[in-house]
Amino acid sequence: MHHLRRQFSHVGRLLQQSKLTATSEIEMSHFNQLASTWWDVNGPQRILHKMNLLRMDFINDTIKSHLKLNKGVTDPEEQIYIPPFNVDNVLPKEIADRINGEQEIRRQQLWQQLKLDALDIGCGGGILSESLARLPVVNRVKGIDLSTEVLEVARQHKKLDPMVREKLTYELKAVEDLDPNTEQYDVVTMFEMLEHVNYPAEVLKAALRHVKPGGWIFISTINRDLISWFTTIFMGEHILKIVPLGTHTYDKYINEKELEKWVEDGHENSDLGDLRKQFEVAGSKGCVYLPCYGWKFTDNVEVGNYFMALKRRD
Amino acid sequence: MFQVIRRFATSVSNVADIVIIGGGPAGLTLGTALKNSPVTKHLKIHLVEGGKIIEPLNSFLETPPPNYLNRVVSLTPSTIGFLDSIGAWSHFNQERTQSYDDIVTYDGVSGARMNFEHPDIATMVETTNIQAGLLSRLNELNSQQEVKLVIQEDTKVTSIAKDSITQWPTLKLSNGDSLTCRLLVGCDGYNSPVRHFAGIESRGWSYNRWGVVATFKFADTEFRFPTGWQRFLPTGPLALLPLPNGYTSMVWSTTPELAEMLLSLDETEFLSMVNAGTRLSTEELSMIYDLAKSKSPDLLEQIQWRLNLFAGKLKPADEENFPLQVSEIVTGSRARFPLKLSHADTYVEDRVALVGDAAHTTHPLAGQGLNMGQEDVKSLVGALERATSRGLDIGNSLALEPYFSERWPQNHVLLGVMDKIHKIYSTDFAPLVAARSFGVDVLNSLGPIKDFMVGRISGNSKR
Repeated sequence: MHHLRRQFSHVGRLLQQSKLTATSEIEMSHFNQLASTWWDVNGPQRILHKMNLLRMDFINDTIKSHLKLNKGVTDPEEQIYIPPFNVDNVLPKEIADRINGEQEIRRQQLWQQLKLDALDIGCGGGILSESLARLPVVNRVKGIDLSTEVLEVARQHKKLDPMVREKLTYELKAVEDLDPNTEQYDVVTMFEMLEHVNYPAEVLKAALRHVKPGGWIFISTINRDLISWFTTIFMGEHILKIVPLGTHTYDKYINEKELEKWVEDGHENSDLGDLRKQFEVAGSKGCVYLPCYGWKFTDNVEVGNYFMALKRRD
Repeated sequence: MFQVIRRFATSVSNVADIVIIGGGPAGLTLGTALKNSPVTKHLKIHLVEGGKIIEPLNSFLETPPPNYLNRVVSLTPSTIGFLDSIGAWSHFNQERTQSYDDIVTYDGVSGARMNFEHPDIATMVETTNIQAGLLSRLNELNSQQEVKLVIQEDTKVTSIAKDSITQWPTLKLSNGDSLTCRLLVGCDGYNSPVRHFAGIESRGWSYNRWGVVATFKFADTEFRFPTGWQRFLPTGPLALLPLPNGYTSMVWSTTPELAEMLLSLDETEFLSMVNAGTRLSTEELSMIYDLAKSKSPDLLEQIQWRLNLFAGKLKPADEENFPLQVSEIVTGSRARFPLKLSHADTYVEDRVALVGDAAHTTHPLAGQGLNMGQEDVKSLVGALERATSRGLDIGNSLALEPYFSERWPQNHVLLGVMDKIHKIYSTDFAPLVAARSFGVDVLNSLGPIKDFMVGRISGNSKR
């Protein structure tokens, strides 16, 4: 079910062992066969294309809901009224609608003024990278991956769309090899990737170095619970065979609470250089795959798949 | 003197996000809605129309024609709400629209009748008024935006092919231009060239009926609130729908031979024939049709005598059960068109979407055709907005599927209902007449069920 992962068959064993982002060879060997059908939305990657809709919703909703509507607006007449309570529960519908409507217009204006640079770690065939690049608020996107095959798929596919051609670059690189002095981004994404790497904490730390102050890192992975074992491994690999056998390793799944705690641990670390101190968990959301429908957000982040957003302080 | 005249190829190749084929109400609404939306207004859109529309539509608003045009449609409150939400409704010439609260349907064979009442259940608008209002709104939007919607009028599509590399549709236009697009939308009517290009089958049948249309003025005998009238004759329904200032728009659905006859009458005979059609019994009508077909000189006299007889028998209290007589016809407003049902197998293919009549055509008996197209546009715009904010390629089937899965089942139900109503009423077979009349009488007295139907007709029941 999760396809964006590292592939080292062409890089060699030595390199693989030296990389934090290394993935086991068994997990990696399923990539080449996927490359040819990566962009067929009705093909074997359909479930990933559907998942991408939720990723984009999660990114959009998170950034939009954190926009400061009255930032820099000193004139009280110009300020948007933001009541300290839930207007939908308290006020008559018409008034609530007007308050929400005014907020929405301002939010939309602020959103459209953004010019975001994005880094997609583990970009695979470029499904998310292209979607990001198509947003008018995104300035440029870099996708990195360690598989030459899927990067080739991504490079070929972007040529088909003039809208993304100019904004999008791909590079065969591990995140820890990117220079943090030059490679700074407003949005860093690591979707369906952490559950495949051998040293997730190290990979995360490497990724944090590339987030600009005020910027975001978006992560998704899988809780280590019975439900996710049942859906992703038992059903996904053994019964329905949606993804090849060996795609997932149960032990590598990371619970939402563990990820949250990892960020908090950083806050308590006496090492001043620990980047985690600058990040907060800005939100997380569970999601579930329903056959015949697609992916759907759930309120329960501790079961199955989940998304998490970390925001770096301004 | 030797002169080489060289003709430079003047063709220009353009790339657009969306190309809309057809400048009718569906195409113009789609273009306007997309340019009105904060999410999609940055898209590069071309609208290609075979006829000349810009000058005629502008002049319709600037110097409205004295008479009502004969292409008039009934808009549901839902449609008007949508047109209002995209800022277009206020651009319509409001004086030429007529809203009404009451629709009366009555059975030509048994006389069973049903009243549908709902505030502003429908609004009659000339299609040119719709197009003109939309174009005016579009001009306003274009003047406010960097990326303008381009209208290429008087331009036909000569061929559609797929680009060999990108697989995007590439159009050759009659002015020599070629146009490549991410998404091609067919708002190009029943014989949709876009549908043929996409290889989408459309299934259905002809009703073997024609709709005869004309615009009349009611006799100025008494004041009436504007009302929609529909009489179900075995040959098809005869509808008189209100226009402002006592005018009315007629659609008489009938057999090909009777349509032929109705078009061959002179205007005085035609007026009398319509008055007969709204009142006289089906037996009397059959006799009058025969007189008309044989060009009998007694036709006018016969109709008048029978109408007088009818008026004499009618109790004063029952007079308002029938529409007023028509007394004047707008010269040249008489026309006919064939009635058919069709439904495309799908509305979306890779890089193609169908909207309105290109996707479905229906019997006009409930005035739903154009409104279904407007609901299509609303749904498609919603799907494109969602796809755009998710960064999808809007030509991709992943972006378009929600439109199809939302609209196809709803349209299918409506098409089916229209079809059944047509079939139930196209007979004078006694048991069926009794059954339908009993059904109508019962239905008319059952408030909640009728309210539900009114809701469906006026488009208010959902969302």
